[in-house]
Amino acid sequence: MEATAWDPEGATWVLDTDGRLSDTSVAAGLDLRSYYKALVAARCLDVRLARANLPMFASAAGEEAPLVATAFVARDEDWIYPGLRDGAIALVRGMSFDEIAHAVVHQPTLGLGSASLRIGTGTAALGMHLAIAAGQAHGQKLAGTKAITFALLGEGTTTTAGFHETLVTAATCDLPLVLVCRSQLWPAGAPAEAGVVGDSVVDRARAYGVWERRVDGADPIAVWAAIAVAAARARDGKGPSLVEVAVTQLMHDPPAHRDPVERLRRHLDANGQWSATFQDVVEAEVRTKLDHALSMARGGA
Amino acid sequence: MNTMQAMSIGLADLLRDDPRRVLLGEDVASGGMLGWSLACVDDPELRARVVSTPLIPATMAAHAGGLALAGLRPIVLLPSASALVEGLAGLREIGLVASRTGGDRSAPVLFVAPCGPGFGLGDDASIESTLARLVGVRVFSVGRSSDVLRRLADAAAFGEAEEPTVLLVPRMLLTAPHDDVPGTDATTPVQRARDGRTITVFTWGEALGPVLAACEDAEIDASVIDVVRLAPLDRDTLVELAKDTGRVAIIHAGLRAHGLGAEIAALVAEHAIHYLDAPVVRLCGDDGVHAPADEMRCVPTSDRIAAALTELASP
Repeated sequence: MEATAWDPEGATWVLDTDGRLSDTSVAAGLDLRSYYKALVAARCLDVRLARANLPMFASAAGEEAPLVATAFVARDEDWIYPGLRDGAIALVRGMSFDEIAHAVVHQPTLGLGSASLRIGTGTAALGMHLAIAAGQAHGQKLAGTKAITFALLGEGTTTTAGFHETLVTAATCDLPLVLVCRSQLWPAGAPAEAGVVGDSVVDRARAYGVWERRVDGADPIAVWAAIAVAAARARDGKGPSLVEVAVTQLMHDPPAHRDPVERLRRHLDANGQWSATFQDVVEAEVRTKLDHALSMARGGA
Repeated sequence: MNTMQAMSIGLADLLRDDPRRVLLGEDVASGGMLGWSLACVDDPELRARVVSTPLIPATMAAHAGGLALAGLRPIVLLPSASALVEGLAGLREIGLVASRTGGDRSAPVLFVAPCGPGFGLGDDASIESTLARLVGVRVFSVGRSSDVLRRLADAAAFGEAEEPTVLLVPRMLLTAPHDDVPGTDATTPVQRARDGRTITVFTWGEALGPVLAACEDAEIDASVIDVVRLAPLDRDTLVELAKDTGRVAIIHAGLRAHGLGAEIAALVAEHAIHYLDAPVVRLCGDDGVHAPADEMRCVPTSDRIAAALTELASP
């Protein structure tokens, strides 16, 4: 496929811009239709919340693949420590729409934590949730279980002490910790707060001796595969890892092939697994339930 | 045996009592600079629960909090209470875990930190004022060498809310001989260290020794109260103790301004002012920053204490 200025350099992909899968073995073990439904649900959640004009809400449209993939790879006994824009994790892990709506309306800056779903609560100090996640992974290792911990972050957080000290600790203590970093692509050059010259976070992980992979966030299958490999390593006692996912925010109006939902839709469509009716049913279910829950959370009837 | 050696044995006992407890720190595997983890390292049964970490000043508290969230009971041995200032953001986060999760989760971590003058490091005296402002964090102090094992056990027991807890151990006590005094009630957050009827003295940490010496030497009829748990304060008990004598002195090491003494003075003013026969007296270390060689100036001397209490006792 022809790379455009919107496509990341040095990022692995298996699904080309037209949705053709270059290596079918990569998707082995992944139910693509369920995965697609979760991606659509995550997108619907994001669009609905963005329209609700909630204070402190930030959109993650275009960045769904690493969120949904992490929740798909994680087992029930694993912990996930999301960032503040990662409501899709809770959605895929089975949090009710009522709980999601209550949290985003009443405590929008703390993420969607849940002890029963093993989702960590956010921290006010940037990057500090990574250190708590490392401690959780440390506890899992000392307990001798196969459970592991995932933590999500954005490239801006890679300047914090929390990020660097977490990498050092995870490498030194050989923790079962999978860091999933979303790096937003900035075709016109990254702003200073992105914290990265160029756009490679994996170089930083490599410098600490942490296993890393960089994948294209517009390809949901490559993202899932990379996180699945990282998780398998952690479960096998091979230590920490960082998966960097190069994502494109839809608010910048990129070409359609940069949208991970659309990329997988093209693949399903080409293989006769997608229809407009299927799409409508998936979207309608999320929208109806979420609208009702949001109305209740805001004190409506 | 000195206080450091007694603490080493006490920490090993804590690990034997509860298999969830682990020792955490940068140099715990080698016993630590104060030898606090030596008894654990020496015991083959406990050695696996002595966990070294890299130097991670900004995130040590948060990392230990994660271990506690995973079901362990970490005891973090810090080289200095000033490390808590470096890790304050993380300590604040784990203090908020219980309230943020509606009580579903808690982070019971015990931090053991030397503080105050000693080895030229006296610049963190009265650090309790900084820590006491953190929501959901308990702060305990040790005033006498003979109390150190009871304080350690109390702090490590955690309350029902399983809040992260800091135990401040004055460096002045570390090399003092340790003579255990049995029979003191270990579970009260406020402890009477001396009986008296004319004055109530609230004190803690480094100042407790000089206060007791002053009362003996100058024959002052003062009730000396060791405010063991500095956060949260046992407010009702402190108010009742102030009412008992009607004359209150608050004596602690370190800086006077914005100190915990001001909080206790305000508490007495709010709830016991009609019972007071004299204005509340506050006595602290010398103001200002001291050179390492002059670090003991941050602890009020027994002479100054005797003079202040004699004046307060006079009708």
